[in-house]
Amino acid sequence: MSAPSPILLDCGTGYAKIFNLEDSTRAIVPARRFIKKLSEYDIKASTGHNLSSGAGVRVNELVALAEGSLSMVDEPDFTVLDCGARDVKYVQIRNRRVAGMDWNTECGAFAGQVVELLTRYLDIEPENLPSDAPRIPVVCGVLGMTSMFDMISKGKSHEEALAGFLRGVAFNCETLVGRPDRLYLSGGLCDNKAFVSAFTRETIPLGRFVLIEGLRKIYSEKII
Amino acid sequence: MQERVENGALIFDLDEPLAGRPVKDIYLPNAYCSILKRVVSNIFSLREDGGLDLVIATVGKCKCDGMRNIASWLERTTDIPILKVENDNAKGAGFPISRSGLPLLKKMELIVNSVFAPLPDGLTLEECAPKCGFWGVPPYDFGILELFPDETHIFGWTRCMENKTPADIEMECEVASGVPTVFFTQSFCQKSAFAYNLAREHGGLYVEVDKMMSHSTRAKIEAFLEFNLGWRGKR
Ligand code: SF4
Repeated sequence: MSAPSPILLDCGTGYAKIFNLEDSTRAIVPARRFIKKLSEYDIKASTGHNLSSGAGVRVNELVALAEGSLSMVDEPDFTVLDCGARDVKYVQIRNRRVAGMDWNTECGAFAGQVVELLTRYLDIEPENLPSDAPRIPVVCGVLGMTSMFDMISKGKSHEEALAGFLRGVAFNCETLVGRPDRLYLSGGLCDNKAFVSAFTRETIPLGRFVLIEGLRKIYSEKII
Repeated sequence: MQERVENGALIFDLDEPLAGRPVKDIYLPNAYCSILKRVVSNIFSLREDGGLDLVIATVGKCKCDGMRNIASWLERTTDIPILKVENDNAKGAGFPISRSGLPLLKKMELIVNSVFAPLPDGLTLEECAPKCGFWGVPPYDFGILELFPDETHIFGWTRCMENKTPADIEMECEVASGVPTVFFTQSFCQKSAFAYNLAREHGGLYVEVDKMMSHSTRAKIEAFLEFNLGWRGKR
């Protein structure tokens, strides 16, 4: 049996993001599948919800987000929002230092899972969503979906209802981060064009490996 | 009441967990304060055993509208004897526990227990400079308090409680300026309006928890303490 591969790991609710320290490759695998193959890996440092033991040095998700975004964005001041499967968190950088942060923790309103489930369930291409759909207030994921299906039952198209729902989630995200002119986005929802275009400000996706970049920086500088 | 106590009656703090009496979530709407769910569950549980003579319900500005509404509901629809009381005492007794360097969990236990019992003999309370602040009511899940350094001062309603002035809104809104503070509220509590806006005003962290703290809530508080104090917890 070959020696376990040394990796850095961001193990979220839905997916594990992996950086292989031997060959510098990256991979994304479903978290449930990754957890079954734990013995194949030598985890040097980790972040994320889904592993609490045997996971090398643990780094707080917001710390990894801050470090990762600082290594990917050159601006002195910026805000980065991480939209994960389960919750949403952000850090605000001023003069290249963390000046603010928050984490939507209690309610599923923002959860990437809901957005992913809905877009898959309704099987709608992002290009087909209307750009002028009114925003649905999304108090939480379930109440938001109730309003969405209410709209459909009153005769609105599925596309319009979904666009309104995504707007509602994006609006909540913008409220959480304090409505900066430009917003950097991290996490699985970066790949969801419909979601990215639901924001009302310049929104720049950084991809799914921002926390991994943070871990790489922290690991290479041995600041853990 | 004094007479009842002298005759052997026991007093329970219904806000607190009672041994062997798990909270039954069946008396109030789902989206409701978990402390009040526990209060009501404790009331019915004690009554089932025939061990309940009187409920003393604080219903004034010293508590919240939730308890006033619950007390009225119980009065109207059950035979549970309810005594509605208001505590508008304005004479402060001091708050040395809130400003001491004891572990935050210990401070909270002492304050909560001081409602019915005097402070333990020989307890010395030395004031420390605050590194951090915890604002709010006593949480349902005391585990949250273990995340903080010992030099965390208590603010908000819990400090008012120690001061024996639970209706003192001015004091409830006081925090130490420049000290990183976590503004804690139970989910569905009316005081969340305070917590939310005080956190914005003072650049603190708003934290809302329903029952037990989630992984995300824990990580959020840990990150706040790490960014502000370089504190990575008691390891
Ligand atoms: S947490 Fe808030 S709503 Fe619940 S009992 Fe205390 S003051 Fe009332």
